[in-house]
Amino acid sequence: MEIVHVTEVHELAPEDQKFCEATKAWFKIDFVPKMSRVLLTVPEFGRPYGRASRRAMSDGALGRAQKELIASVVSAINVCEY
Amino acid sequence: MAHSAAGKLQGLADEKIWYEVAYLTGVTHALNTVADGLRLPAEFSPSVRHLLVALPDPADGEADLKTLFDEIRAFYAVDQVPAVFRWMARDPGFLQSYWQATREAFADRALDRLTKEILAFAASMTAKSDYGVDFHLREARRLGLSDRGLTEAVEVVHLFNTVTKIADTLGLKPDFPARPTGERPHV
Repeated sequence: MEIVHVTEVHELAPEDQKFCEATKAWFKIDFVPKMSRVLLTVPEFGRPYGRASRRAMSDGALGRAQKELIASVVSAINVCEY
Repeated sequence: MAHSAAGKLQGLADEKIWYEVAYLTGVTHALNTVADGLRLPAEFSPSVRHLLVALPDPADGEADLKTLFDEIRAFYAVDQVPAVFRWMARDPGFLQSYWQATREAFADRALDRLTKEILAFAASMTAKSDYGVDFHLREARRLGLSDRGLTEAVEVVHLFNTVTKIADTLGLKPDFPARPTGERPHV
């Protein structure tokens, strides 16, 4: 059960709404994931976290697809429903 | 869940990949559970652990077991059979079958062996398995993981250990359905 109201995009600051649009393009989806909205609910946390995430998930020595697989394995080991 | 779905949107739509990820994650987690549970010492770094159990000596086994041990040594390019497989040799029939499954889980298929070892390392680190981190980090490096690649892998582990716990704390439900189109997998 979700124990909080998950912030809607329109409730975020305008600059964070722009970031949400970029997130949709990043994931090639037509909605903003809950996690993005949760993180940006406190922008002082979410903005730097988002920068770290974007940096770490970009193609580098490892490809983005490999990194998405790592993320999936971490989620599986942590038994994370989300 | 979200990152399985996200991965499918990054060119990982082939379901063979996800079966392979599942197999290697399961095998890795099981081997780590046995190794850490029995306090088997790390294979490639100093360890203060003391074995809780006796391990068969590879030199004492039957011919079939020696052949199996040779195969395991060759697969990992090691002089000594890793302790977790020596443990299983207490029941050679079990070792024979489980080793075959392990070897196939880590074989080059839709995913290459290096990627699989990186994933096993990530699984081990997330499970806080001393044995698994030591084992799979060595394997990944041996197969070609660079320092930069290691940094990137750990950054992803770091990030997703953050968001999974944020999601769990807030009880977030998945954004994505497990199978968006609802079709049955091809097996």
